[in-house]
Amino acid sequence: MSENYKFDTLSLHAGHIPDKETGSRAVPIYQTTSYVFNSTEEAASLYNMEVGGHLYTRISNPTVAALEQRLAALEGGASALACSSGMAAMHLVISAICSSGDHIVASSKMYGANINLLQHTMPRFGIKTDFVNPNDPQAIERAIKPNTKLVFGEVIGNPGLDIMDVPEIAKICNSKNIPLVLDATFNTPYLMQPFKYGANIIVHSLTKWLGGHGIAIGGAIVNGGNFDWGDKEKFPTISGPHFALGGISFWEEFGPSALIAKIRAEGMYNFGPSLSPTNAFYLMQGIETLPLRMKKHIENTRSILNFLVNHEMVEWVKHPDLETHPDHEVAKRILPKGSGSIVAFGIKGGREAGKIFIESVQLASHLANVGDAKTLLIHPGSTTHSHLSSDAMKEGGLTDDMIRLSVGLEDINDITKDFERGFKAVKKLNK
Amino acid sequence: MIINFKGAKTYIGTGGKSLDITKRTLCFLHGSGQNHLSFIQQARFFAYKGYSVIVPDMPAHGFSDGNPCKSIKENAEWINDLLVELNLKNVVVIGHSQGCLVALELNKIIKSALEALIFVAGSNEIPVNRFLLDLSKENPQKASQMMVTWGHGIDGDMSINKWPGHSHYGEGNNIMCMNKPTALKYDLNSCNDYLDGIDASKIIKVPTLAVLAINDQMTPLKSGLKFVELIKNCETHILDCGHFLPSERPMELNSIIKSFLSKLK
Ligand SMILES: Cc1ncc(COP(=O)(O)O)c(C=O)c1O
Repeated sequence: MSENYKFDTLSLHAGHIPDKETGSRAVPIYQTTSYVFNSTEEAASLYNMEVGGHLYTRISNPTVAALEQRLAALEGGASALACSSGMAAMHLVISAICSSGDHIVASSKMYGANINLLQHTMPRFGIKTDFVNPNDPQAIERAIKPNTKLVFGEVIGNPGLDIMDVPEIAKICNSKNIPLVLDATFNTPYLMQPFKYGANIIVHSLTKWLGGHGIAIGGAIVNGGNFDWGDKEKFPTISGPHFALGGISFWEEFGPSALIAKIRAEGMYNFGPSLSPTNAFYLMQGIETLPLRMKKHIENTRSILNFLVNHEMVEWVKHPDLETHPDHEVAKRILPKGSGSIVAFGIKGGREAGKIFIESVQLASHLANVGDAKTLLIHPGSTTHSHLSSDAMKEGGLTDDMIRLSVGLEDINDITKDFERGFKAVKKLNK
Repeated sequence: MIINFKGAKTYIGTGGKSLDITKRTLCFLHGSGQNHLSFIQQARFFAYKGYSVIVPDMPAHGFSDGNPCKSIKENAEWINDLLVELNLKNVVVIGHSQGCLVALELNKIIKSALEALIFVAGSNEIPVNRFLLDLSKENPQKASQMMVTWGHGIDGDMSINKWPGHSHYGEGNNIMCMNKPTALKYDLNSCNDYLDGIDASKIIKVPTLAVLAINDQMTPLKSGLKFVELIKNCETHILDCGHFLPSERPMELNSIIKSFLSKLK
């Protein structure tokens, strides 16, 4: 009772108390599609959203709910909804808030799929986005139009590691009554809780640090509950009568949880990107050690930064914790525990050197993911962007010598030794 | 629905159905610093069971404008006038916390036919400590946060919720933040200043139901049990949760209320 448990405790406990019948300490995996109704009246109550409960796993599931409630607690939000992937979360939020004719202002430096969804897919449904520099709050303000329904960005951008000045941007959004939606995948609630800085909605790719072990794809939306959806002209499908449930107003009936209630009743119902209970269990196992892992991720990142900055084979190193990073001051202010465990660096010798380095390391895994407990590497110049010229890569904010590193939890000496092996191979080539 | 009442925009939740004044109406009265959203899982439930439901946002609470009432009596008069304005004939009044004190005073003056009283996490008195009274004036947001944490049982701390994905703390804080910042201090002072509860409880003549909570730190169980002793024939139930019974134990509370209502003539 009123213990106000701290972050580490919530990571382990929030969302689950052992039930009296079985005493199961771990969160049970409710591997079921549906739930027996005790009466026709109970069934009707669930369908009508009179009371909470489970009726079909596409809408909700007890294991998934434990994960959702853990995330709501860790972020300090009013409610949360877990879904099949980070991209599903992003799509659910946009389709819940926007309709054809609406406009979005988004960061121009984001994960490729986030950009693609907004730049190419959404316009086909009449939702247009203007992209602006995430480090320039005034540019964001200037881009807001009368039909702008949300501002979107990544707290720590992937892959450029630009940091959004969340409190400044939140102030602007707040003054214009527009929700600030943030992808907080790279920071996780351990490094920074966006609602404390005035953001309104968070989307996560749970696939990354929250899950933390590279074993399950998942996403989540956390609703701050701190946004006023009452403007019926601006947000007609949240505050005005909705086609579901005889013209329900989600805002009037559910207040702070209006958005999540709407996404469950419409997005999960009609699109159906549900998370499997087993994956919810895996992701929750990961969250149990999130504070421990993040501490070690940050500790190892600091050591690696030191190693790379001083290495003769490294041309440049990019990380917001370095004074040379353009957003270093913002990072210090809003990410005092550290700005995550992604590092970008340029290897001497360009595209070919990058290729050799990646192929010569033995411990670090060469793959397209981030946030695993294991150290991961990718060289965009010889993989994802190999079809582009150096100049074309520069236009997209990338260089052909760039290696993206997701620092893992291995013994730091083993990681640096592994990198030395890669650098040695490059040196041999240069000779 | 939104009406203009006493010159101010006034919101009245009706559980997603339109108000039918020919039916028995359940009138829910929210507690200190709360609004109609305290009864999310009661309003729709009973509206969909064929009752007419009203959950007014008291002045300066939730979506209602106007100046906050400054005493329990003033709250009761406001509700009484609202029932007259809405032309409601037969009502069952259901109070939560401060709403129970308002119901006690309303019982003395009500013009509609009062069919029953239901007290949820109630007592005949709600003394408030000086620290919280002062904090509600100086920093209502912080005071709200403390009430939300004290108010919930273990489900609050552990982020357990019958509504999948919802957090009692996160939702509770934001519900309280929707009110005008001055609302809380008037509510808490109204509760603290109310001393007529013993006499008001003794004169209740209608069928009465009380649902109390074991881990209620706002209106402690001990105080609630003394209260029900003052009322003639009060059907009493005790649930295993904190002060926020309507959201902590929605199904249990609803089925107790439903069964009580089914026994009314
Ligand atoms: C910042 C960011 N957001 C969202 C996503 C998409 O997540 P998912 O793969 O879970 O759909 C990714 C994936 O790499 C990402 O890096």
